[in-house]
Amino acid sequence: MNKGFSFSEFSKQSPKGLLIIYLAEIYKVLKLFWIFLFILFKDFSKFTSYGIIYIYLGVFVLLSFLFIRSYLIYLNFQFKVFNDHFILKKGILKKTNIEIPFQRIQNINFKQNIVQQLIGVFEVNIETAGSNDTEIAIKALSLEKATALKKIVSTAKFTDLNLKKEKELEPILTISPFALLKVSLTENHLQNLMLFLAVLFGFFNQIQQVSESLGQSEVLGGLITDSTSNLSTNLVLLFIVLVLLTLIALLSSFVKVFLLHFNLTTYLKKDAFEINQGLFTKKTIVLKKEKIQTITFSTNPLKRAIGISFVTFKQAVSGKAKKKKKERPIRLVGCKQEQLEVIKNTVYSNLDVLEKQKVYPNSYYAKRLFIYAGLFLLVVYSLLYFIFNHIEIAYSLVLVLPITILLILKKIKKRFYKISDSMIVVGKGVLETHLIFLNLFKVQHIQLKQSIFQKKSKVATIILQTASGKINLPCISYLEAIQLYNHTLYKVETSKKSWM
Amino acid sequence: MSEDFKNEVVIQLPNISIIPFQNINKAYIKVISINFFLISLTSFIGLFLLQYYLLSEDILQYIIQLYLGLGTLCILLYGYFLLAFPNRKYAIRNKDISYKYGLLVFKTTTVPFSRIQHVEIDERPISRFFNLAAIRIYTAGDDSDDLVIKGIQKQKALEIKEFISTTINE
Repeated sequence: MNKGFSFSEFSKQSPKGLLIIYLAEIYKVLKLFWIFLFILFKDFSKFTSYGIIYIYLGVFVLLSFLFIRSYLIYLNFQFKVFNDHFILKKGILKKTNIEIPFQRIQNINFKQNIVQQLIGVFEVNIETAGSNDTEIAIKALSLEKATALKKIVSTAKFTDLNLKKEKELEPILTISPFALLKVSLTENHLQNLMLFLAVLFGFFNQIQQVSESLGQSEVLGGLITDSTSNLSTNLVLLFIVLVLLTLIALLSSFVKVFLLHFNLTTYLKKDAFEINQGLFTKKTIVLKKEKIQTITFSTNPLKRAIGISFVTFKQAVSGKAKKKKKERPIRLVGCKQEQLEVIKNTVYSNLDVLEKQKVYPNSYYAKRLFIYAGLFLLVVYSLLYFIFNHIEIAYSLVLVLPITILLILKKIKKRFYKISDSMIVVGKGVLETHLIFLNLFKVQHIQLKQSIFQKKSKVATIILQTASGKINLPCISYLEAIQLYNHTLYKVETSKKSWM
Repeated sequence: MSEDFKNEVVIQLPNISIIPFQNINKAYIKVISINFFLISLTSFIGLFLLQYYLLSEDILQYIIQLYLGLGTLCILLYGYFLLAFPNRKYAIRNKDISYKYGLLVFKTTTVPFSRIQHVEIDERPISRFFNLAAIRIYTAGDDSDDLVIKGIQKQKALEIKEFISTTINE
């Protein structure tokens, strides 16, 4: 292991890192201006040869500028380890000096996207607990250097950590491509289709906006009206579209699952899970037990039929990272029952909550859902009637009404909570079934909400706010709500454990 | 089993529904009124300007109804604020701070001191005129739902902030 990387002197990234930085810079520029490129290529033939030279020249200048910039970024990015601090110098004109004491480093994660895989370097992310410089990314390090750095930091932090022993660990979860195929087939296809369509729509919208502002709206506009008039007249086309949508839904689930979870392996370590996954971008995530805020175990009818669920871990998001981007929760797919047990038992020492009785919401909850759904349908159908002026639209209610009622009944049936002295488990879902586990002392603040109607029926809603989102307990009886409120506060205020 | 838990809670735990809550400063109702007056005034001026410069003939024939509508909306909202005002209450215990408010929907929020990230005091111009301040309490939870108590006397707000800060640092 020790090949003499002590990091006592300032060192740069691997020289291959220059390529990574260069590509990242080009990608950044492309992301900003891709729409102009699109237009440029569309009308490429219209340019005179004289104009084309200018374009080539412009591209050349831009590329060389970016190369010089990347080179300077590379030269100025230097780091070393000194006196149990990680020290980083960076910046071309605006020089930044970052110093992180080892105690504040939470995790060192490795990541590899496709380019980094091809040239054999690792991206090292240093995650810190706390305020502003939440994450430091070293774009390119050789494997030896990366592991050496990780070792220096982690041995200084936990002296009893035995790195050799970890190597021999058996993974608690490995997913073969075939199992992954099963996972992707049982995904929530409707959701994935919506996601895909939303992305497509956004993309389309952007193109349309720009071309409109350049006075070329008729091209795309014509395309749309053409297809819509065909669609409304031709039932065969409608059928084809439906089949296509189904195919797209299946395909998008498939692509999503394989991109994110390819080669998923999970190891259980002393106080953390180590999760490796990803097809093009391989990610290694170290998930510390105490950083976990909530764990959600979810399944749907298809997945239940073949006996698998997926697990979603939510971590505390600290400082500015919270505002910048919503961190994607860490998800393990294709877990069997025994793996779920392992996860539950490692994270929670006391699971007597599972033997407690389920507490269902008051019947007020059902009433409220039915009233809301009824009002919603009323508004939608009146609007449809005003637009199309055909009373025949109401016939579709024969189909819509039973489905709505069925969904609401499902939703009501799946809503419950179980509470023990230290934990709460919340069940919810409509088509999918989610079970959320939360240690009560991780609650940040608590709210009791009661409308005047709820007051009349003596029910109230409790909102438990955690560092990774809130958990609602709608329409439980007022007395239970007050007890839960007091109990949670008592647990939070007497707890000595840190919530992250 | 859940019976045990319930008994324990009723007997031992401090109960949120019976602790004495304090009203916020009476003068804050003036701040609300002035703010409200300013907002209504600007919306009326806005409508007036629209009438003279922008609105087309088809809409102008309903202009009286528009004014009446805006007027009723303002009066209703103002009435709502006035009626809801006595419900704005806060309480500070040894280990947490609570705030409740609302008229049609009552909300009670409690933040334990041990989960507070930081406390801020801010004075808006009109509040400052009445020597009032607002306390904002931030936790690691969702920002939008953090605790804000408006309309506390400035001296008292500072004391509360001091109390919370010393308790957090213990």
